[in-house]
Amino acid sequence: MTDDPHSVSGAVTVGFALLLVAMILCLALEEKLHAKKSVIVAVFAVACLLLGGLLHLLPFEEMVVVVGEERIELPIYIPAINWGVVAIILGSSLFVDITSKSGLFTWIAIVLTKTSRGDPLRLLIFYGVMTVAFSAVLNNVTAMIIVGSLTAVSLGRLGIGDKLLGFLLVEGLLTNVGGLLTLISSVPNIIVGNAAGITFMTFFVKAMPYVVVVTGITIWLGARVFKIRSLAGDEARSEAARLVSGFDENDGIESRFKFNFGAVMLGAFIVTIAAASIPDTVLNSLGMGYVALSFAVIMLVQYKSIADRFYQAVDWDLLAFFGALFVVINVMEHAQVLALIGRGLAPILELGETVGPATMLFSSAVASSVTDNIPLAAMLAQILGNLDLAADSPYWWAVIFGANLGGNITPIGSASTLVAVTIIHKHGLELSFAGFVRAALPFAALQLVLAAGYVLWVL
Amino acid sequence: MTKLDQFQSVFLAADKTALRYEKIGVEHVLVVSDRDGDAAGELLNRMRAFLSVIDDEETRWARLDGGGFSSVKQLLDTVDEQAPDLIVTYRHLHSSAWQWPHSLGEYLDVLTQATRVPVVVLPHPDAARALPHTLEHTERVMAITDHLSGDDRLVNYALGFTQPGGSCWFTHVESLAAFDHYLDVISKIPEIDTESARELIERQLLKGPRDYIESCRRQIAEQHLPFEIGEIVTMGRRLGEYRKLIAEHRVDLLVINTMDDDQLAMHGLAYPLAVELRQIPLLML
Repeated sequence: MTDDPHSVSGAVTVGFALLLVAMILCLALEEKLHAKKSVIVAVFAVACLLLGGLLHLLPFEEMVVVVGEERIELPIYIPAINWGVVAIILGSSLFVDITSKSGLFTWIAIVLTKTSRGDPLRLLIFYGVMTVAFSAVLNNVTAMIIVGSLTAVSLGRLGIGDKLLGFLLVEGLLTNVGGLLTLISSVPNIIVGNAAGITFMTFFVKAMPYVVVVTGITIWLGARVFKIRSLAGDEARSEAARLVSGFDENDGIESRFKFNFGAVMLGAFIVTIAAASIPDTVLNSLGMGYVALSFAVIMLVQYKSIADRFYQAVDWDLLAFFGALFVVINVMEHAQVLALIGRGLAPILELGETVGPATMLFSSAVASSVTDNIPLAAMLAQILGNLDLAADSPYWWAVIFGANLGGNITPIGSASTLVAVTIIHKHGLELSFAGFVRAALPFAALQLVLAAGYVLWVL
Repeated sequence: MTKLDQFQSVFLAADKTALRYEKIGVEHVLVVSDRDGDAAGELLNRMRAFLSVIDDEETRWARLDGGGFSSVKQLLDTVDEQAPDLIVTYRHLHSSAWQWPHSLGEYLDVLTQATRVPVVVLPHPDAARALPHTLEHTERVMAITDHLSGDDRLVNYALGFTQPGGSCWFTHVESLAAFDHYLDVISKIPEIDTESARELIERQLLKGPRDYIESCRRQIAEQHLPFEIGEIVTMGRRLGEYRKLIAEHRVDLLVINTMDDDQLAMHGLAYPLAVELRQIPLLML
């Protein structure tokens, strides 16, 4: 022991680093362990807090907030959690869940299906664009579930079930592209964007051109690889149009008022979230989490008597995972593990403005392809934040692009590609882990190369 | 229930079966009876008046009189040879068993299963069982089934046999006995809320046929067909429910399915209907 009660020995740092590696390994083996990731990380959070306390790493004496003459003592794990991020995720997921109850998203999906008149190529284009748009507004998993389940039903109706695998694979890959569109489209964006101080509008303006171009290229390549072509002949075209005309877009709408209200509120939500980026405004001070929670509350008023059903539908596993993850990372910071990783990243940062961010992007992608991209984003955000990088540094964007697109390399790289594979298997189609990698790698490689070029030379 | 199942259910429910309307073509009608001579001729003339909706200049009417067959094989051979689009006959040909309403008679029993040709089954001419309004015209036709959604053939035949300006009823009676049986099982499964299951399953069971009838209405309006469409979609004890509906609506012709792809015998509901509903003509598909 030294005189400084919080000084950390090298052995302690290495010990905690091993704990971190063990946690990441357990997360990668989530399926094999039959354990939810919230439980895995919570176990490590409990262990980290206990060890951190026993080893005097944690600043318990600083956990006091003085408000006037009142001293409020906070548990050490409360300020460890980034409550802004938790509020955004809780608020937006509640808001989206209630909005989808109005039938808005299924209405859009069915209208697009009918507009395609059942032509396979047009369906692929429409579903691809819809996947990107839904991923941007909803979370990637919900977007994949909506578009994927409609794809299975509509291709079945059209009798082209043999194209299902191609459709679902392209849609799965596009969820992670769509997840790049806005600051709130994916969790790594929220974490890294918040740490970097990137505003909603800046994020959107910078990411949008890449998303548009890569969406087009992915759909084009998907159509070629999976041989998805337009129908030939008037008879085939009119039969396909007749088959999709049976879809009733109004079937899932319980109340026209709630539907219209949901549509208006969705538009207002996007505008207000964007407005919260404007500096020196009340909304900016209150933060995006406040906006998301407020909109969720307004929507809940519509369903006030059954609000508890929506609370049950909240992804508590994800929220508990975040809470525990932030605690683990906080302890790792006190244990100097993040500083150690930062020193390990130093060679990458010293590679220069071109090779450095590119290396960061590809290494983030590779890491995200085999384990959860959220711990990676949270750790890198903390490490890069400690380096006082500017908001427009390419390193932030390298992490954002790498963490999102890395999910396209393997089926376990992101929750939405896992959903795509689940739907594929549910419909009796064969797709192994290696089969997915073989099919997805050309797409992922192209997307990553374009992302590297975009981050380095366009942003 | 996972979100994936939830959305899949939403899209499956939104994927509605729509009627594919096709005008039925009846060019050759074979009237089979156990009468001969004038009696057989009179029966044919009466049938031409009764089924005037399908009778036009090109319709060919033929008779197979009692003397023309004395075995099921002979009857089937004649039907094969003549290849009619419609057969008109009655129960218990060459038999006095019509006095006991417990079967169809050997000829009709085999005929309805051995051939895909639709059969109009009349009340037996000697039994005087026909309701007073029947055998005059086909202004009020009712198609009945326990699985209406997507049954285009049944609907097209029902429409084809309804006189212009007449009413065509599409009737779907879901078996209450089967429903109660499944709910009884569900009530013993703790993971499923019985009341919710009752409400949701009943709503969905009846929604399918209602949506299909709605598509029939749209088709009829688009084709400018001169029919009034009636809708009866309900749960009930089927035979009793059908008897009640037929009496209430003074039905001139009842249209039912008889073929069952899974078995050689008649469709489960068709046989008791064909045996018991002796007061009105039936069109058995």
